[in-house]
Amino acid sequence: MSAPRPAAGILPAAIAVFGRELLAEWRTRVAVNSLFLFAFAVLVLVAYAVGPTRLSPEDRPTVNAVLLWIVLFFSAMTGLSRTFVHEEDAGTAAALRLSAPPPGVLLGKLFANVVLLGAVTAFIVPLFVVFMGFEIRDPLLFVLLLLLGTFGLASASTFTAALVSKASAKGALFAVLAIPLLLPPLVGCVLATRVAATQADFSAGVDFLRLLVAYDGVVTTAAFLLFDAVWRE
Amino acid sequence: MRLVAESLSRSFGRRAFGPVSFSVETGRVLGVAGENGSGKTTLLKTLAGLIRPSGGRARIFLDGEEAGEGWEPRDVPWRIGWVAPDLALYGELTAEENLTFFEKVRGLAPAPGLVRALLEGVGLPPESHSKKSLSSLSTGQRQRVKLAFATLHEPDLLLLDEPGANLDEAGRSIVQKVVAEQRLRGITVIASNDPRDLALTDERVTLS
Amino acid sequence: MKGVKSLGFFLKALLGIGMAAICWGAFLWARPAQSFVGESSRIVFFHVPMAWVSTLAFFVAAWHSAQYLRKRRMENDDAAAGAARLGFVFCVLATVTGSIFARVMWNSYWNWDPRETSIVLLLLVYGAYLGLRGALDDPERRATLSAAYALVAVVTVPFLTFAVPRMYQSLHPDTVINTRGKVEMSADIKTVFFSSMVAFMALFYWMWNLDRRVSRIVRERSA
Repeated sequence: MSAPRPAAGILPAAIAVFGRELLAEWRTRVAVNSLFLFAFAVLVLVAYAVGPTRLSPEDRPTVNAVLLWIVLFFSAMTGLSRTFVHEEDAGTAAALRLSAPPPGVLLGKLFANVVLLGAVTAFIVPLFVVFMGFEIRDPLLFVLLLLLGTFGLASASTFTAALVSKASAKGALFAVLAIPLLLPPLVGCVLATRVAATQADFSAGVDFLRLLVAYDGVVTTAAFLLFDAVWRE
Repeated sequence: MRLVAESLSRSFGRRAFGPVSFSVETGRVLGVAGENGSGKTTLLKTLAGLIRPSGGRARIFLDGEEAGEGWEPRDVPWRIGWVAPDLALYGELTAEENLTFFEKVRGLAPAPGLVRALLEGVGLPPESHSKKSLSSLSTGQRQRVKLAFATLHEPDLLLLDEPGANLDEAGRSIVQKVVAEQRLRGITVIASNDPRDLALTDERVTLS
Repeated sequence: MKGVKSLGFFLKALLGIGMAAICWGAFLWARPAQSFVGESSRIVFFHVPMAWVSTLAFFVAAWHSAQYLRKRRMENDDAAAGAARLGFVFCVLATVTGSIFARVMWNSYWNWDPRETSIVLLLLVYGAYLGLRGALDDPERRATLSAAYALVAVVTVPFLTFAVPRMYQSLHPDTVINTRGKVEMSADIKTVFFSSMVAFMALFYWMWNLDRRVSRIVRERSA
């Protein structure tokens, strides 16, 4: 038997959740501040400690690729749990649970996190390239990697945030839970970024793009399938 | 419609409430009394579908479906309104933005003026609901916004946990008005130990 | 009931004798290949079954997690948690034995070989799963959330097997079922090796059953 009156459509609910996330973020700027300041502080530290000149030319692509993704990963870890954790801490989760269809909640929050992390990436990557003297031979591959990598980071982090928001010791647990899920795409991103930095041969990176597309698809699908059980627990 | 609880209970390691059984018909108001720690809040959360029962079951029979199996509360959340001390709305938004947001996620047809009318109905003057963020309102004013939130979608089942908390006399008369309106629409359950709240009820369940 | 009990005793005794026989066979009977691997290759009789059991336990935990989400029976949660706890122990043992072998063979305890990387990821997953369980008090919430995590992990972790082999050349000997699709072992090694695989799985199953029974008693006591 189907429900007597259909619940709200997923898409309108997702748009409303997305809009509310961004509006609240615009007013408080908590996640934006922590993300941007963290990313910037780490970048300054890395640029000061390593800098463009201290690396030998053959080490530069590898070390820079690793450092870039470490900065992006830990930035995601500082800011992206807020969407769900704040909802539980402030006590608003119950109101949302009673009002919105669960997939709409996840979709709205996922895209809010994608926008947030995307903005940080767009801000930090040009600075990183300049500060570190990071030469990119294949800009198209590099940009595609950043897009797919950011989406994968946001997707796995958003789902992990939903899990962690119900637990005690949320902050420490968030990274512990996210690292095993994110290690495969991060390893791929690092390797492919090295490829983009050393050779202008797009076909050399296609395998990694395929890996990232598959990963993003699988982790997002799994998140949507499992979210209902997590959210309403 | 009808709300039925059959040996409903919940435990978190140890017993939180129950087992309790009751049946309430449309137009009636059920009072849930019991001392602190007797599980009134947990019972209402279970009826709201926010908590899974450990034993027994709660069923909602909607009009025209009385013969069927009934619905578990968690499957028909859009038929339920809930107000409780644990409930919070978004502090960064104004009262009006809050209600408009919940109108949208619920997929209600946007009715211009409905939100304003509701907020005026709970006695909030326009400057405090459209200009000030919710977190800058007083606790009593926020309680009024919560009452508006719970009735926004004209629920069949309205669950009021300590509805009079932090309200002045004018606020209490708003609770009375909300309960009177809900009598025309469906069922109300009020959990409280305050005789003024319990005076609004027709039937009583006491938890121990 | 008496028949079941004596059968259980018989199987446990058989497992004990079998394990002893495998130890004897591994060190005294099987003659390792005369190639560069030499005597140190005897570790495969223990290392490979441990690694295999820890991988198997991961899938057992995921399977019971899915069953829990479908049926919401606490028995499935006990089973998933038990498999994860034991899988973690076997994973640590496989890591340590592998690391010792790596020291003997390549003069380095650790060199981020693809298989070493995979087992570290498995350790991280087990650690995260058990950490999540430790941070949740309500049994049903713990069961639901850890089940969801186990299932997300089981679909994302295999991506590493695609990414990592491109990182470093593998030093690891071919796996048992290698690309040539056949087992390249002498008969005596094969006998001990596959007996050990069976015995380790039986050991896992026995320990897992004990764990589930303990969990069940603890749960019923606290209810």
